[in-house]
Amino acid sequence: MSTPPTPLSPDTLPDNDNVPGNHYAYCVRLDGRLFMQTGRMIAYYPGPGGQPIRFEPLSSASIGGMVATRFSAPLYTRDWVVATGAGHLILGDRGYDINSYDLDDGNLTLRASNLLAFDETLELKQSIVPGFLTLIGTGKFLASSSGPVIFAEPPIRVDPQALVGWADCPSPSHHYDATWMTGFLHSAMGFLGSNSGEERQFDFTGAGTVLLQSSESGVHDPHLLRQLESQIGGLGTPGLQHLQGVIAQQLARER
Amino acid sequence: MGFTEINHKVVAADVAPGREVLARRGAMLAYTGAVGFAPVHAGQGGLGGMAGRMMSGEQVPMMVAQGTGTVYYGHRGLHVTVVELDGSGPLTVEADRLVAHDAHLQSAVVFLGSQGGLRGAVRGAVSGQGLFTTQLHGVGAAAVLSHGGTIALDVRPGVTTTVDPQAFVAHVGQVTADISLNASWRDAVGRGSGEAVQLKLTGHGTVFVQASEQKI
Amino acid sequence: MQPFRLHGTRILEVDLRGGSVRAATGSMIAYDGDVTFKNAGMGGGDGLRAALKRRATGESIALMQCSGTGVVRFAKDAMEVLLVELAGDTLRAESERLLALSDGLSTDVAFAGLRGASSGQGLFTTTVSGHGVAALLSAGGPPIALEVSPQYPLVVDPDAFIASQGQLNQTFVTDVSWRTLVGEGSGEAFSLRFDGKGVVYIQPEER
Repeated sequence: MSTPPTPLSPDTLPDNDNVPGNHYAYCVRLDGRLFMQTGRMIAYYPGPGGQPIRFEPLSSASIGGMVATRFSAPLYTRDWVVATGAGHLILGDRGYDINSYDLDDGNLTLRASNLLAFDETLELKQSIVPGFLTLIGTGKFLASSSGPVIFAEPPIRVDPQALVGWADCPSPSHHYDATWMTGFLHSAMGFLGSNSGEERQFDFTGAGTVLLQSSESGVHDPHLLRQLESQIGGLGTPGLQHLQGVIAQQLARER
Repeated sequence: MGFTEINHKVVAADVAPGREVLARRGAMLAYTGAVGFAPVHAGQGGLGGMAGRMMSGEQVPMMVAQGTGTVYYGHRGLHVTVVELDGSGPLTVEADRLVAHDAHLQSAVVFLGSQGGLRGAVRGAVSGQGLFTTQLHGVGAAAVLSHGGTIALDVRPGVTTTVDPQAFVAHVGQVTADISLNASWRDAVGRGSGEAVQLKLTGHGTVFVQASEQKI
Repeated sequence: MQPFRLHGTRILEVDLRGGSVRAATGSMIAYDGDVTFKNAGMGGGDGLRAALKRRATGESIALMQCSGTGVVRFAKDAMEVLLVELAGDTLRAESERLLALSDGLSTDVAFAGLRGASSGQGLFTTTVSGHGVAALLSAGGPPIALEVSPQYPLVVDPDAFIASQGQLNQTFVTDVSWRTLVGEGSGEAFSLRFDGKGVVYIQPEER
């Protein structure tokens, strides 16, 4: 019979690395402060001497000044906490693979739901691309991906659902597949399945790195929803009425 | 040639003139090079014998990748298994589990009644997988979806391998899949009615089973 | 005792040589040979007392008895399988994370504590005891075993908890800090704290 995993303790857990033999869990050796996305911690050892680790909302007064200079992504404030203290934290994220990355005076943009934690030395901003966040500066961060992350170089075209992020290259533009569109125009099936992702991709050009994953298992993305929500304020009454019609149509189709 | 497993959830296919790839719509993750995609419809015969699919219910929208380049395929974070066909026997798989395959493989919708008689037809009905299943013939490769990956169990003369239809993914070779009723089976597979059946596999080949009873 | 072994990381294989094994109902995915399956009954085959307790506490369990000669394979929702050996001691487990039990093991229900000091709502857990091997399930990846000692108490997200073994004192902690950490999702508003000496098994995925 196969033996169960060897029990780990703060003496044997890795400092800032994946739990041995486990791509899906990561052990952070907390010593100071760390930005963490909510709902991603599965266990922790409170530090020695019974000094508890504190998890504070970004609105907390004691960390307010630091947050104001590091975190400028107002749509995401509620999804993040700051952990303060010393001890071992174990993170997991939906069974996704977790990796740590070093950013050295650079910038990298990630799908918001795939960013788990980052050093307070890094700065976080909302990306122009809805549902994505940009990290700037020098420091470590943790990100997850459905399956091991795949690194690719531009030129490449990516299904938005399969995109984890990108670094050092220009923001993507939309690419519409001419063959695909023509195929539909000539077909009797018309609109059926026209949202499969093949008709529209993110087009990456220039020099840099693109991070890919197998597409997300659920299409529900609370971050994307919030970002869209935040933009409807600028539409005005005619725009809102039009949008209402579009949504009603889409709902009817899905039913 | 064929498919490269990039990791357990993603495969890459090299596409070239004469080496087109058929895939389930929505399964393209990314591509490099000059590749175009076109939806494949019923009635657009020639490409893999799609005709009749609409009527059979074994209908998963497909698309063809053509041109020159590399295409990455995957689907909703499910595991992907590449099955090589050496021509000695067909691959039998439910259409929604087939994520991509060489376009030159002959694809056919098989009415299970013609394979296992009336009992074969019942199998499709009770497993909820339809009365029809997809068969791929020829030499080439296909990529198949599962929850958590598959294990390959040998099917050989003299041994009957019995599988929960919900965990069944595909079989390849000269294999006959037959339904059988087991009085005790209902307890074993659980979840109420309509599942008191099991798949008995005989012949010579391989059956792929997933560690789950979830559908795609 | 039947040899329990893993095929890969997600499938449990059991060689039956005329004996029997209890497994979660619906978890059989394939078998060779001559094997029969029957419902182990209301209390999971551990008698009327266990059955009544399960009904009263809502800590349900559905097991089937598999007997005969052959190789049976068990799996559930593509979760990873963890084998834990018991030598007369007791394992406290999340009942949904039980895959199979070798004979020689029995299950019961135990009081696990109160959910928060004020609500008074009782929480119950399934216990497995005896001599043998228990096969447990871990969602989202391989299970992680964490040691608890007087020097190192441990706090666990209840959504990631699989089982615990040893002389452990388990408490439910409700504090502002934890609630902040769970966020607005559907996670539990309390954490599980373990003191004493033993091992806690957790999974990488929050339920």
